[in-house]
Order: sequence, then C-alpha cells, then structure tokens
Amino acid sequence: MKKRGIGIGCMFYGIGYGFSRQDISAATVEICEDGSVIVRSGEVDYGQGSDTIFCQIVAEELGVRYDQIQLITADTFVTPNAGPTSASRVTYVTGNAMLKAARAVKKTLRSVAEDILGETDLIFSDGMVFSESSREKEISFRSLAKAAHLRGLQIVETAWHDVTTKDVDPETGQGKAYSTYAWASQLAEVEVDTETGKVEVLRLVAAHDVGKAINPSNVEAQIEGGAIMGMGYALEEEIRQEGGHVQNRSLGEYMIPTALDVPLVEAHIVEVPVSDGPYGAKGVGEPALIPTAPAILNAICNALDIHITELPANLENIHRLIREKGE
Amino acid sequence: MSKPDEKDPLQMTVNGKAVSLSIKPSWTLLHVLREELRLTGTKKGCEQGDCGACTVLMDGKTVNACLVLALQAQGSVIETIEGMGTAENLHPLQESFLANGAVQCGFCTPGTLMSAKALLSDNPSPSLQEIRVGISGNLCRCTGYTKIVKAIQSAASRKP
Amino acid sequence: MQNFEFYSAVTIEDGLACLSERGETCRIIAGGTDLIPLLRSEEVRPVCVLNILNVEALKGVAEEGDCIWIGPATTFTEIMDSGILQRSAPLLVQAASSVGGPQIRNRGTVAGNIATASPAADVLPALMALDATLEVQSLDAGIRRIPLTEAILQPYRTCLRSDELIVGISMPRPSSDTRGGFEKLGRRHALARARMNVSVVLRTDPDGCVADLRIVPGAVMPVARRMTEAESVLLGRRPEPGVVETAAEALAEGILKTTGRRSSSEYKLPVVKNIFKRVLQRLC
Repeated sequence: MKKRGIGIGCMFYGIGYGFSRQDISAATVEICEDGSVIVRSGEVDYGQGSDTIFCQIVAEELGVRYDQIQLITADTFVTPNAGPTSASRVTYVTGNAMLKAARAVKKTLRSVAEDILGETDLIFSDGMVFSESSREKEISFRSLAKAAHLRGLQIVETAWHDVTTKDVDPETGQGKAYSTYAWASQLAEVEVDTETGKVEVLRLVAAHDVGKAINPSNVEAQIEGGAIMGMGYALEEEIRQEGGHVQNRSLGEYMIPTALDVPLVEAHIVEVPVSDGPYGAKGVGEPALIPTAPAILNAICNALDIHITELPANLENIHRLIREKGE
Repeated sequence: MSKPDEKDPLQMTVNGKAVSLSIKPSWTLLHVLREELRLTGTKKGCEQGDCGACTVLMDGKTVNACLVLALQAQGSVIETIEGMGTAENLHPLQESFLANGAVQCGFCTPGTLMSAKALLSDNPSPSLQEIRVGISGNLCRCTGYTKIVKAIQSAASRKP
Repeated sequence: MQNFEFYSAVTIEDGLACLSERGETCRIIAGGTDLIPLLRSEEVRPVCVLNILNVEALKGVAEEGDCIWIGPATTFTEIMDSGILQRSAPLLVQAASSVGGPQIRNRGTVAGNIATASPAADVLPALMALDATLEVQSLDAGIRRIPLTEAILQPYRTCLRSDELIVGISMPRPSSDTRGGFEKLGRRHALARARMNVSVVLRTDPDGCVADLRIVPGAVMPVARRMTEAESVLLGRRPEPGVVETAAEALAEGILKTTGRRSSSEYKLPVVKNIFKRVLQRLC
C-alpha cells in the first residue's frame, strides 16, 4: 500500500566561521587605461557562481558592462587571500570585499569626473558617467579611465573585509556567535510503499531567506542542488564503516540520487536584506541541504505515524519501523 | 593476435576526423580519448560505469567510454563533447544548459549533454519521464537535476 | 590494468578456434560492463581477451517456429527495442530496461548477464522464468543445449567450459494467453543493483485456474531458480488471496531453506513475498 504524507523542516544557519574564528577576505579591483576592469580574488568558484557575482558586483558599482570585467581568481601568485570557499561565506564576506574595492576606485574616478565635468551629482551607469541634473555633461567610463591614468592617480584598490565575531561567553552562551544567519523552510511530500519501505519524494519545496539574490538563477540552482543532497542524506546515502575503514567507497556503492529519483525542486527566494551584506546578501550553499532531511522525516511520520530517530530512512529501516508498528 | 607488450593499430573516426593510433589492448576508449587524443572534455569519474561522466556517442549510441576497450571501437564513429559545439558555435542544447543555469561545477556536463543529445535525436519531443530516463545514467551532485531537465525541455521545445 | 592480447572474432569459428587453443587463459568480452571493472581491479588477469561483439551471427532476435532465439551479443537496449520480444515476452523487456542506465544498456549483453552469473542479475532470472535454454558450442564438443536453470553453478560461475562460447539463447514462444511480469526493487531507480527482483510467468485456463506458473526471484539466493514449492501451491487453483498468501509463504520458506537465516532475511523475506504477490496480482 502506498501512503502519502507532508512534512516541514526549518532551519537557521550561521554564515561564515563564527565563534571568533578568523573570517576575512580581500579583493582587488583595478581600472585599466582602456576602461576595462581587472578583478582579483583568491576565492575558488567550484560551480556555485562566485565568479559571476564578483563581476556583477563590480559592474554594478562602476556602471560598466559585465563583460568588461576580467576576473582572475584562485592564483596564489597574484590574487589576495580571500579565505576558503566554505561556510556559505563567499558572497557575504568576499562579496563585501569586492564592493569595498570597487567603491574605493570609484571614489578616485568620481573625483576625476567631477573635475572634468564640473558637476558633483554624478551617476555611473551603462559605461557612462553623467550628471543627473545636466545629462549632456557626460564622459564615457573608458575616457574617464584614461584620464585617471594620465593624471597618475592610483586606480587599483585592494580591500579587506572582516566578519570575525567576538564569540559567546563560554558560561552563558550569550554573545555574538556568527555575524549573520540564513533562514529557511522546506516542505516535502512523500509516498511510502509500506510493502517495501521505499520512500519516494513527490514534491520538495524550499523557501530560503538569502538577504538578497545577486544572481537569482544561481541561488535557485544552489537551493535545488542542496535540497537533493539533503534528500539523499535522508534516504539512501550512508557511509558504512568497519573498524574505521569505509566499506562503500565507490559511486556504485554510495547511492546519490539519479534523475529518476528526484522531484523537480521548487525553489523560492525570500529577500530580507541584511544591512551588512553586499546589497543585503547573505549565503545559501549549506542552508540548502539542512532542512530537507527533517522535512522528509516529518513527511514520513505524517504518512505512517511513526517517529524516526535514525538515518538513513532507507528501505530496511523504514520497513522495520513499519513492521514494529504493526506488531 | 597481439602480444602483451606490443601495440595494436586502431582506426576510428572521432568528431568527424579519421584517427589512426597505436595502442595497448588494455587501454579503454576513455584513456585513448583523454591521454592519446588530448580530448579532455570527456571526464574520468568512477571508471566503473557508475557515473556517466565519460559518456560519449559510439556509432550513434551513448556509452561509458571507461567500459569500452579502445580496440572494440575499431572502425567506429565516435563523437565527444568537443564535436558537439564550440565556444563560437554552441549546440542548441549547450546554449539551453547555459541559459537555464544547468551548469555548476561542470564535471557531469559533457556526459549529460551527450546523453541529452542522443535522447533528442531519438525522441525530439520527450516527456518529462523520458528525459529523466535519458539522463538517468549521468550522476550530478551539484544541480539536483532540476535545471538540467528544464534545459532539455527548453531545447526540445525550440527545435524546428 | 595488466595488459593482454586482444583478438576480435569475426565468425563463431574464429572465436571457437581461439578458445580451443587458449580458453584457459582467455576471457570473453562482449559489452564489457562486467568484465572491464574486473580487469581494472585485476581481479581477473587474462593473457588474452576475445571480443565477440563483431560476430554478426551472435546478434539479433528471431522467431524460429515455436521458439524465440536471442543472439548472445544482443544488448539490453536491443532487447527493449525488439518488436518480437515486446509482443511475446514483455517480461524480458521489463527486466532489460531495469538494468543500469542507458549507457550500460547500450553495451551490456544478454550473454554477459548470464555468463557473469551475479546473484543480483536482472535478465538472468527473467530468462529462467521464460524457460530459456543456452546453446553453447566448442570445437571439441560441438553444440550443447543446457537449460538455463541448470547452467548456473554458483555465484559468478556457470557450467561453461573454458573452450565454450554461448552461441544462442532460445526459449519457447509464450502462448498468447501467457502473461509475464517483472519488478525490481533497488535503492534508486537507475544505476542500482537489485535488492531483489521477481519474475513471474502465468497462464490460466478458461476457468481462471492456474495452468502454468513460473516464479523466479532474483538477488535473494546465491543462485536463482524456479520456486516450484510456491508454484505448486497455485497450480490448478484459482489465484485467490488465501491461496496466493500460502504460495507467498512457500516462496519465503523456500528461499530461507536455501540461504539459511541471514542478516538480510529479516527484510528480504517479507518484502519478496509482497513483491511476488503484487506482480502476480498485476497478471490476474
């Protein structure tokens, strides 16, 4: 017999390393004579899209086209230390360093533009810099860059951003653990085959407060991928150890979901900007997989009226719980 | 018959070009593509046929290149990701993957694209279930498959 | 991977000559999906590997009188695409479609599934339920016909001699009133070894009584076999719930008798009963 159930899981998660562990990042923005922009970051993009948002942030600040940015990353010879790509921190920490560096060069460019155009209400947009009140007073970003070079001004800036927290009191637990927190809820609808213990996840809906989605498509992608990692963790992923030796070391024995095992995840981005994130952004990488297992376990509980206290909720464990309940 | 230390001749067509090599019988098609022909778009994942990262087209059908002895590809027509499209001239599936955010780390992408291409060649208007089956031999950890499926749906619906 | 000599047979005779000379140190390769991982891990270290995928005479699906003949080098995909098998033996098509993923199915072959003789094979038990016979040939002994149910000696060992090649798989064409069903249970819906599978072939007579019944569960015993102790409960009777339950009990007992109690028995025995009952149910 097939039984359906719905469950919800909620989570909050500290972004960054927290607990007074060092959490700094640096970024460099350089304006070239031809108006192109070189950005250097120590951060590794392993597919989550940090490269993309660094270019977006700098392009947004300087009012240039995204494809005018030349990005150099993860080269210890030339890129400043950004800290690891971990702890869901890159947008929040390195993104801020990017923003600071971009704003610092912008300040220099602005003063040159003010001097050239004779106005102070300047806007950087679409590759141009112009006066908001007198639109005909304009200069291309490219010409402005050249002018700054000719004046011998410094238009390369490295900025540091530090979110290292003060920590909590070891006795009371009060204080500042993390610099900011992400919040999320996920809902799972499951169908359990009581004859075999197989759990199918029919629907997975995920709502994540990310502060600000600088790149909504990439944020959705993180949510979707993380939720399926959470699903695998809940159902059939298991590291089997004997005497400290992992027994199932291959992709054929450690069972991650295939395209036939997953629902199409419905990702909802919630934006409640934080004052100390770049454009209000926080993080989403790890949060994406945290509420999934609880949501699925709650859904199984809703379907079968059993309480699950161990993972994975695999064929054998679910079937055993069903048999025990029947007895 | 070959001796263990000798190399055997291998002739096949790879991405439209005739290729002639001298190879060890124990070499797999994956090894030959990556190490001898320097076509590193095809990825080495598990080398056991459990992940699909090494998926290529062999005589029009998707295979795990790690599970083909190269000499079994004698006279075969092989297509790898490099033959699917170039940066200047992307295949519609590649465009769709990019437009729909279906690429994260990119490791599964070449193999998944090969499977998607084979799927749409055989079945230009696949159902959702058929798409899932079509890429069921390609593991992806980053995306959870949602955007990959949507990218394939989108490419299928755009075809003339 | 230790290197080896590679020979690609063009005809059956080629292949037999090679095996006759060097069968002891030779491994046959078809789709390679089972063999190549063994070569890579050096669990097997043959001096020579004989490729039979180029032998046209070993491919195809054909109807020969009352029989269906399947070429040993027929891939799982070709099984699924065969009009003959779709019409006459959909059980086999279902079993083949449950193996691995598309890439594996495009290479893995029927004979490979048989020759590897994994306890968790999917197509092998389905062929047993369909009463398949192996045609095996050698230079010395000519052609032998072996019922598939007698061909598997132990996990990963068939009765094939080192100079023998599987040259055909044949089975009686099921009558038009025969129905077959298959269900595989795995930890995921692709790229998964069977936790168990059940093949059932059923024919009822005009009164609705069971006239012919074949039950072959897979991945529950070291070697798959027909569960005649369960079949005999239902033969001649209507498949009503009480009788079916008794048959399912006999199925579980038969498995337990063969394997003895194992740590997996607690899960597998009740579940294989459930899967058997619902496969049978779908055929009634």
